[in-house]
Amino acid sequence: MNFFGLALGIATLFIIGLGFIWVIRGEYHFGYLWWPYVMGLGFALIVVSLFLTTAWLSALLGVFGASLVWGSTELKEQAVRAEIGWYRFNSRPKPQPPLVELIKRIKAPHL
Amino acid sequence: MTLNGIGLVAALATFFGVWIGHVTVRKVEYHAPNLRGPMLIALIIGVTLEVVALSSDSLYVSGACGILGMTALFDALEFRRQFKRVKKGHAQANPSNPRHAPLLANGQATTIDLLKREPTGQVITYKEQAA
Repeated sequence: MNFFGLALGIATLFIIGLGFIWVIRGEYHFGYLWWPYVMGLGFALIVVSLFLTTAWLSALLGVFGASLVWGSTELKEQAVRAEIGWYRFNSRPKPQPPLVELIKRIKAPHL
Repeated sequence: MTLNGIGLVAALATFFGVWIGHVTVRKVEYHAPNLRGPMLIALIIGVTLEVVALSSDSLYVSGACGILGMTALFDALEFRRQFKRVKKGHAQANPSNPRHAPLLANGQATTIDLLKREPTGQVITYKEQAA
């Protein structure tokens, strides 16, 4: 029997679970406008995974990269959830990402 | 240098597994009069994929099936969680669904998708949400 897939599946559940936490906290402290950087980091990690020779490390990095890409598309909806009172709303000014005006002109993706 | 594609395969399985599951759970929960059937189907798909993952000699097949199987098993539980969201008014209720209709009649649920808007940076009041 090959336990690689089963173990990777279980690890994926934990990584996705971690995604719920960082999306909530990340949006609270930094705001949703950082989404292109989170998405870019996710894609970069997937590219790095291509150069790792250990299957485990490569697979886990790929999963983590994909969870960052997915999470980046959740940040906007999380901001709305906070605004309508389902999550704690942070009224303090949030750090603006580089190229913020350009980012504001792009519609944040949601899947 | 040879590229190792297992990370890319794992990433694609994760992204599409989560995306397809996310959309399917919401659509099926909205229309299905009973959740037991969809939960059972997700459970069967999940277990089957895990059996394939355990039986395959290929790391690529095992990895992809292991991830997709786990997301399907998680989706089986998500049907209930989605219904709880409908009960709380956090997800859209379907007036023609017999599970949702009594909740709408009691004023417990809503047909409005409250998340379908752009963030404003301000707290939104209930009246503004409904508008």
